[in-house]
Amino acid sequence: MDTRVERIRSEAKRLLESGEVDLVIGFRKGSIPMVSRPWFVRTVEDTELLHWDGFCSLNLCNYLTKRKEKVAVVAKGCDTRSLVGHIQENQIQREQVLVLGVPCEGMLDRRALQERAEGTEILEVVESDGRVEIRGRGLERSFPRQEVLQHCCRICRHRNPVLHDRLLSAEVEEHQVERYEDVEEIDSQSPEERWAYFQNMLSPCIRCYACRNVCPHCYCTECFVDCSRPQWVGKSLDLNDVFTFHLFRAFHMAGRCTDCGSCERACPVGIPLRVLTRKLEKVVSERWGFEAGTDLEQLPPLATYRPDDPQDFIK
Amino acid sequence: MSARRVGREALKGFITGLMEDGRTVWGPQEFQGSVRFRPLKKNGTPVLDVPNATLSPKEVVFPPSEWMFLFSTDPGREDAFVLKEVPQEGPEQVILGIRPCDARAFQILDRVFLEQGAHEDPYYRSKRDRTLLIGLGCNTPCSTCFCHWTGGGPFHTEGLDVLMTDLGDVYLLEPVTERGRALLDALQLDEAGADEVERGKHIAEEARASMGEAKDPRRIKEKDLMALFGSPFWERAHEACVKCGVCTYLCPTCSCFDIQDEVRGACGFRGRNWDTCMFALTTLHASGHNPRPTGKERFRQRFMHKLKYFQDDFGDVMCVGCGRCVQYCPANIDIREIIEALSA
Amino acid sequence: MEQQNAQDWEPKILAFLCNWCSYAGADLAGVSRLQYPPNIRIIRIPCSGRMNPAFIAAALRNGVDGVLVSGCHPGDCHYLSGNYFARRKFTVFKELLEFMGVEEGRVHFSWVSAAEGEKFAQVVQEVTEAVKALGPARHYVKEKIEVC
Ligand code: SF4
Ligand code: SF4
Ligand code: SF4
Ligand code: SF4
Ligand code: SF4
Repeated sequence: MDTRVERIRSEAKRLLESGEVDLVIGFRKGSIPMVSRPWFVRTVEDTELLHWDGFCSLNLCNYLTKRKEKVAVVAKGCDTRSLVGHIQENQIQREQVLVLGVPCEGMLDRRALQERAEGTEILEVVESDGRVEIRGRGLERSFPRQEVLQHCCRICRHRNPVLHDRLLSAEVEEHQVERYEDVEEIDSQSPEERWAYFQNMLSPCIRCYACRNVCPHCYCTECFVDCSRPQWVGKSLDLNDVFTFHLFRAFHMAGRCTDCGSCERACPVGIPLRVLTRKLEKVVSERWGFEAGTDLEQLPPLATYRPDDPQDFIK
Repeated sequence: MSARRVGREALKGFITGLMEDGRTVWGPQEFQGSVRFRPLKKNGTPVLDVPNATLSPKEVVFPPSEWMFLFSTDPGREDAFVLKEVPQEGPEQVILGIRPCDARAFQILDRVFLEQGAHEDPYYRSKRDRTLLIGLGCNTPCSTCFCHWTGGGPFHTEGLDVLMTDLGDVYLLEPVTERGRALLDALQLDEAGADEVERGKHIAEEARASMGEAKDPRRIKEKDLMALFGSPFWERAHEACVKCGVCTYLCPTCSCFDIQDEVRGACGFRGRNWDTCMFALTTLHASGHNPRPTGKERFRQRFMHKLKYFQDDFGDVMCVGCGRCVQYCPANIDIREIIEALSA
Repeated sequence: MEQQNAQDWEPKILAFLCNWCSYAGADLAGVSRLQYPPNIRIIRIPCSGRMNPAFIAAALRNGVDGVLVSGCHPGDCHYLSGNYFARRKFTVFKELLEFMGVEEGRVHFSWVSAAEGEKFAQVVQEVTEAVKALGPARHYVKEKIEVC
């Protein structure tokens, strides 16, 4: 068994036995291939189902918002970054959370794997030694892990937990990868082309709001799309309204999004939404040298200012 | 012999035939990152070789958003704020390649929109009446498919007008309803040979046999409603669910909508958009009170409606086992486990 | 926009001015009888920090051709730091809006104090020219449907 799984189970067990925490949030194996299920553990017996694999991609910080009890959470790099955001925004107190950090080798891209199966259903995925093997009826193929990582993981710069109370395996090597190739590509286009690009990109949106709801940082009591007085945005599939929804969803993520990829993964119609949030990530980093969720002491960029902030665009 | 055949290479011609008389033909097509039912263009071909589409063709008869009324907000006009119906006419249409589960889902929607209560839903009615369903049987059901638990099957014909079977080189077309028969007759297709009909039967049997043992959600009907409602089961069952709503937006049987007004210039619109019991806003009262205050109640509502209330009202579960909610749920909530737990 | 109308076309520009500085600056421009293009319509807001970017989107979607947001100079905010926070918000919002295809030059920001009547007139001049150069707003306008 993966030693990380053993460590997760034994830590969880110890924490529950000693009463240090009331709840451990981690993952268990999913009922179908390529998705693991968030698992809420309150008893020692339930620790036996705790699990870790390349499909523990959901951002567990989702479940920490406004929690009251003492809780331990199994967290990869991005989850810990979102947690930092949560602590800064007072959604949970640092003392309440015990972080079981898991250095992350990147999560696997379910859609990419399915594409490589060329129409055959994947019934099993086996991960070993930097390779991933997919199996199905008459299907058996394997790929280097690196090739089938989620896009957000391929360009991740914080695979190690930025905040942890226990580290459950040796740290992995961080890469200073280029994060903005696609953003720059779009940036280099004319406004006409960019407009057309996003109209096209957003046209399949069905306004299900899954992208909003799976994001740990979307926790407003009333979302601007739901306001009716004033009605900031129409509720139909009118593309102008769809555009407005995405404009503001992304805007509200400025300096907060940790690029965990949950939104994009949840989108049932496969819209590559993260290009918007990464554009803002780039702006925030270039203008104010800020990187979301990496420093508990640093205030989120829109919650603070410097008198000498750049203002070249202001007359 | 009433079964017909269309060679794989003749599919285009068949579709062109369907389009005659101004019919719109909807078929599954690649739409950026997903497969959706869209009107086929002349000489366009549907993608029939993939498993079921991301969204069911429910959107053909019950679109994600549609306008119901118009009104003028110009106070100078005599008819200011008087609602006028949006005309509901449209062309005859065919949904080609709908899967048997999704066709059964239309029958469930029929109950909600046409049979329940004193009023028919005119928007649904108009679209439904001019829509013919040419279904495609499922040669290789997915591991997430469980139509056979819910009274269907990969080659079930309930709700279909014509059943199509992929024989490899040929599609076999068998009429199910009179309308379906008339359509096939009008197209003057070749008759299928007895051996082809036989092959179709064989494929259907194999598909069904590949699906494993069915659990019967009908047992839930026998259970006491309040016991299920008050069961401690929900406390934990809902925990992993992030209430994203994907399951309900993709579900072919979900029928909730929200009515909204919108004004542009001096023109007002009243329309409806898909909605979901997974959102707090759905039940939020103007007073601020919410009868489903937390995720637990919303989660319970989804499953109790599908598996219990709907059975009590109509005798069937409000789930056709298409497996979309299982496939797309980011938190791996699996309705099959819920069915087993509630029927235990 | 039809060809023959293009010449006489005048842009509609919405200006959100903070109560304490820019609005007073506009007033001063007025009482000083300074000339500036009549294309702007003014909405007074308590502070540039009150400016919700949704106002900008609402204006554009409802068919204005340009937007100006103006507040007190850094250091002069009546509420001390409203304009500093606003500046950060505007930075991000402007970048995103333009990234998504709204042309640079539709949305403008300025600092105009109560004593800067002349600067106000000049800013309005510049903004009007920039918006004129772009022509009528096309992209981010919500289609009007006159069917009732
Ligand atoms: S916006 Fe998307 S990528 Fe960013 S934190 Fe939220 S879910 Fe993650
Ligand atoms: S998840 Fe996808 S389809 Fe749903 S609202 Fe977001 S972008 Fe649109
Ligand atoms: S798709 Fe899954 S997580 Fe989302 S609301 Fe449905 S059950 Fe909950
Ligand atoms: S509940 Fe799930 S399996 Fe059942 S019909 Fe709806 S989406 Fe399909
Ligand atoms: S659930 Fe049944 S009918 Fe639906 S796609 Fe799967 S096998 Fe076909």
